[in-house]
Amino acid sequence: MRVFRPGLLAVSTLIPLALLAVVVFLTSYSWPAIQFNGLHFLTTETWNLGNLYANPVRRDGFEVPIGATYGIWVFIVGTLASSAIALLLAVPVGIGVALFLNDFAPHQLRGTFAQVVELLAMVPSVVYGLWGLEILAPLVLTHIAPFLERVLGFIPFFSGAATSGYGLLSASLVLAIMVLPVITNTLLEAIKRVPSELRESSFGLGATRAEVLLKIVMPSVRVPLIGAVILALGRALGETMAVLMVSGGALNYLPDTIYSPITSMAAFIASQLDSALQDPSGMAVRSLAEIALVLLIIAVIVNVIARLLTHRAGLHRV
Amino acid sequence: MNLNLSRRTQLKAGLAVAGLTLASGLFALPAQAAQITLLETGSTLLYPLFNLWVPDYTKAHPDVKITTQGTGSGTGIAEAISGVAQIGASDAYMADAQIKQNPSILNIPLAISAQTINYNVPGLNKTHLKLDGPVLAGIYDGSIKNWDDPAIKALNPGVKLPNHTIVPIHRTDGSGDTFIFSQYLSFSTPKWNDSVGYGTTISWPAVQGGVGANGNPGMVQACHETPYSVAYIGVSFHKEIAKAGLGTAMIKNKAGHFLLPTAKTVSAAAAGLIAKTPADERLSLVFSEGADSYPIINYEYAIVNSKQANPETAKAIREFLGWAVQSKGGNAPKYLDQVRFIPLPARIQELSKAQIAKIQ
Repeated sequence: MRVFRPGLLAVSTLIPLALLAVVVFLTSYSWPAIQFNGLHFLTTETWNLGNLYANPVRRDGFEVPIGATYGIWVFIVGTLASSAIALLLAVPVGIGVALFLNDFAPHQLRGTFAQVVELLAMVPSVVYGLWGLEILAPLVLTHIAPFLERVLGFIPFFSGAATSGYGLLSASLVLAIMVLPVITNTLLEAIKRVPSELRESSFGLGATRAEVLLKIVMPSVRVPLIGAVILALGRALGETMAVLMVSGGALNYLPDTIYSPITSMAAFIASQLDSALQDPSGMAVRSLAEIALVLLIIAVIVNVIARLLTHRAGLHRV
Repeated sequence: MNLNLSRRTQLKAGLAVAGLTLASGLFALPAQAAQITLLETGSTLLYPLFNLWVPDYTKAHPDVKITTQGTGSGTGIAEAISGVAQIGASDAYMADAQIKQNPSILNIPLAISAQTINYNVPGLNKTHLKLDGPVLAGIYDGSIKNWDDPAIKALNPGVKLPNHTIVPIHRTDGSGDTFIFSQYLSFSTPKWNDSVGYGTTISWPAVQGGVGANGNPGMVQACHETPYSVAYIGVSFHKEIAKAGLGTAMIKNKAGHFLLPTAKTVSAAAAGLIAKTPADERLSLVFSEGADSYPIINYEYAIVNSKQANPETAKAIREFLGWAVQSKGGNAPKYLDQVRFIPLPARIQELSKAQIAKIQ
């Protein structure tokens, strides 16, 4: 008994401590980079490790390779755009799948179907990446992109031919499939908990099934839905491997169409680390750590917005 | 309470016995098998060669186990320095500043390799298009956007080039292939040298639609899947390149001749540089003199720390690398021909052996 409670306390403090350790490490490690890069880090489009084969020079009081500049606007745009498009695709589908599973699927199939969805959530991301690389990217180039251009070509971002299968669209599609089970599972659990009295009395008042789902069930799961979307967004923002494999690794330019190659922040850290380690001045690795810090801050902002939204939605709950 | 205590003691004793048994079991395992494990990681261009070497070598030396990984030259250098890998494979030699920071790291040539410039232009993959440094630099910096650009037409009179956007493909991981390709562009095109330069990772100029790929396998696949693309790929991937149906370009050398990488043109390029190779063997072989010299070739390096953790490991590395550079060992045609590498010339072999002897 005397060991149990302090033990639990010790274990549970590990979580905030770990988070704190990460923040402290990232901030202190990237501090020289933060000072060297300034705000340009967030707003410029050129990432250049500089000449690693020449001796580093002193610039603004820091030792850096000749020609080194670190700007991550391209990666911020890539990360936010791919995650946003992924959610735009996955949220409506996820809601549809959850409603179908709870209300329309044949009884004997519901359990199996739900398990398949759960199983999808456990597939490692590299598997999705491989599938995206081998199957999806060629399909995007030969079929999906030409189709979109034909149908939606009047919208500027959809016009212009795709030159390769790797890019924003492929990355978003892979991400959408990856986050779909997160949305469906969370929502399904919430829908199950909607009091049956609520449904029954609505039916009693003569409401159709569609009316019950859209006007009674959906509003009452608003809070869990926001939570599900945020969980999904968190996964999409930080996804590394799958995005690395299908995004096309764009460097130094912004996407001009939805088919253009992009790079996300997480994928860029992974692909650049080895080269950055060869920088004798160390500024490259510190700048990569600064990207990680920015990614963390974005995640925190997303979470805070989610809290505010759920709080408001909770207040106005029917 | 007493009972409790005694139970706890019993439990403790039991756990201790179990732990000891487990621990002794764990420690006994490596002692029984006196096998030395070496990890080789790095260049995806050297990877196919190591995969030919290792099974034959370990069959003759069952006391050594060698694990190979194709992770990119950047990783090879980084992990050889950090000590994660005993042998780092790299197509690029290390920079002076990096050597200064890690004076115990050796750059040991194992063979000579070349790089092919490949393309996927429907209908033209069977003809060898002619390309030179300034045109490739133009494609990769975005000033040449179309296949029927006058600059490409001028090099290929009589060839019907399509009016289609070029997709330049580059490596996203730290790569020796990027290193020698960007050296070729830098040495042949002053404008590229001033604005971009060379390295295992470079800041690729913004070319709308330009694609990044991971490793040589990724380059072959991206080029195969993307019509009208250009890529630079290590010659050891010639089988994959042929299978993917890609075209191979004839590249202009310093003397102004357009050449394909063959045993003859690669040897000719290397021959002129034998005498210039310094004792630490860090030398670029790119864009060398000579009428028959293929312009994009390089030493394939093993990056090894001369100060190993223990003498047994050092001995195993010395023996393996010593075998690898020998004409009757790893440099035999039966290995190198399969990946289209060229054996080390006699003098370079001696220099490599002298460096290998330093591994302690």
